[in-house]
Amino acid sequence: MAQIEIRDLGIDYRKPKSNEVFSAVDGVALSIERGEFVTIVGSSGCGKSTLLMAVAGLVNLSRGSIRIDSKEVIGPGPDRAVVFQEASLLPWRSVRGNVKFGLEMQRWNGGDLNERAMQMIRLVGLGRFSDYHPHQLSGGMRQRVNIARALAVDPEVLLMDEPFGALDAQTREIMGTELLRIWERDKKTALFVTHDIDEAIFLADKIVVMGRNPGHIKEVIKVDLPRPRDEAVLDSEDFNNLRRRLRAHLAEDMSSMQLVQEVA
Amino acid sequence: MRSAEMTAAPAETRQISLSFLRPSRSTVVGLVAVLLFLILWQIAPSMGWVNGRFTSRPTEVFFAALDIFRNDSFLYHARISLTEFVAGFALAIVVSIPLGVLLGTSKIARYLIDPPLMALYIAPTLVLLPILVIWLGIDMAPKIAVVFLGAVFPIVLNTMAGMSEADSRLLRMARSFGASRFDIFTRVLVPGSLPALLTGIRLAVGRAVLGVVVGELFVSQAGIGYQLNLYGQAMRIDRLLVYALIVSAFGYTLTIMVRSVENKIRDWRSK
Repeated sequence: MAQIEIRDLGIDYRKPKSNEVFSAVDGVALSIERGEFVTIVGSSGCGKSTLLMAVAGLVNLSRGSIRIDSKEVIGPGPDRAVVFQEASLLPWRSVRGNVKFGLEMQRWNGGDLNERAMQMIRLVGLGRFSDYHPHQLSGGMRQRVNIARALAVDPEVLLMDEPFGALDAQTREIMGTELLRIWERDKKTALFVTHDIDEAIFLADKIVVMGRNPGHIKEVIKVDLPRPRDEAVLDSEDFNNLRRRLRAHLAEDMSSMQLVQEVA
Repeated sequence: MRSAEMTAAPAETRQISLSFLRPSRSTVVGLVAVLLFLILWQIAPSMGWVNGRFTSRPTEVFFAALDIFRNDSFLYHARISLTEFVAGFALAIVVSIPLGVLLGTSKIARYLIDPPLMALYIAPTLVLLPILVIWLGIDMAPKIAVVFLGAVFPIVLNTMAGMSEADSRLLRMARSFGASRFDIFTRVLVPGSLPALLTGIRLAVGRAVLGVVVGELFVSQAGIGYQLNLYGQAMRIDRLLVYALIVSAFGYTLTIMVRSVENKIRDWRSK
């Protein structure tokens, strides 16, 4: 059986003003194998972040179920860690203090907290900056801390919500390569949400393409590009074919949205 | 990339320690302006431009200050005022911080007490002075009450704001790591609202100083305000100015002290 089993998932929100109910995600079914790197791609408003937050246990389900290692997800747990879109670092803590935060919350007993934190900080390439505070770091460095904090608790599943979305294109590419390097070490299951097509292909074993109104899965695409990967793969024929396929999906979504706007 | 900034820091402090030897243009201009003002003030009465009875002179103020510190039982009166200030302020802190935390963390408590609290904050608490005197007499008690009332609201409201306006992204991040409510309170909410709390304390200082002085001016048997009243009736401008300076210096020093702590924390370099 797959490590993560999502069945008939539906998540409804109540709009705060009108009390109207709308579905962010509906009828989602997905299986993720242990050690798979899965990217979820779709245009904004397709519920991809909501889906991720549901797996994190931070959102209440309206229908269906999520199981991890056949255990039902009812809230956050030490088997998962989230890398947030915004670095969400505690501004009064140093880099090391921030990386230690998750360990402290989970009452980590696998040895010295400082040592563990420093290992992770070095892993993401911030060894020299462990005493810096978030306001002294660039956006890319903050996301490295964000990633180190999640890796520190040694989760079975790493959940990433557009972690590079706010970074410039170059930094983004570097971070993607770095992330793969780190992931290759122990190949823990990873779920990565993005709206960037290249990023979605570059990282993935499997791409989940989502559409909107309500958020649903349109297609799941296997990616067979050889690993370990580097930037060279971006120019390969296979990569181009995947890119074309994803672009068609997103273009379809865009045109349907425009249609709705014109009618309205 | 930031190492340049780090190495620059010691150089900066060296510059500051020597700066009084090579004063900047702004300090020179400032000093000259103050000096000119003092000279003008000194000679204006002699030149017949103003009535010295009402304006006094810098030299007179200076000697009045010496007089006050030497044999005006200044320490006695200052101690009374200081006691009122400290007692009222301490009481305000003890009450306002838990109240602010409660209001900041419980929506229901906030809905219940926020509107009257806001009204009391905006209303000048000094209007209650006559009532407080009727209730509490003319000793220190009504002044302590006025200081308390002046200081308590800014601290409550700022603590509340600091708690309730905590970054929801940080709260979600903490929850994702399985933080308990207690963990979230102690590790996220409290450190996050510390700057707001200090802002509240800083705003409270000014109101508390005002409370002491006005309370004593209104009716009292001792204290700085009592002295002000005394010398006001005797038209001793020189002594009144000395007391005005003392009160301002006290409030100013406290405010600066709180602000420096505030800045340090806001800089997020602490811890």
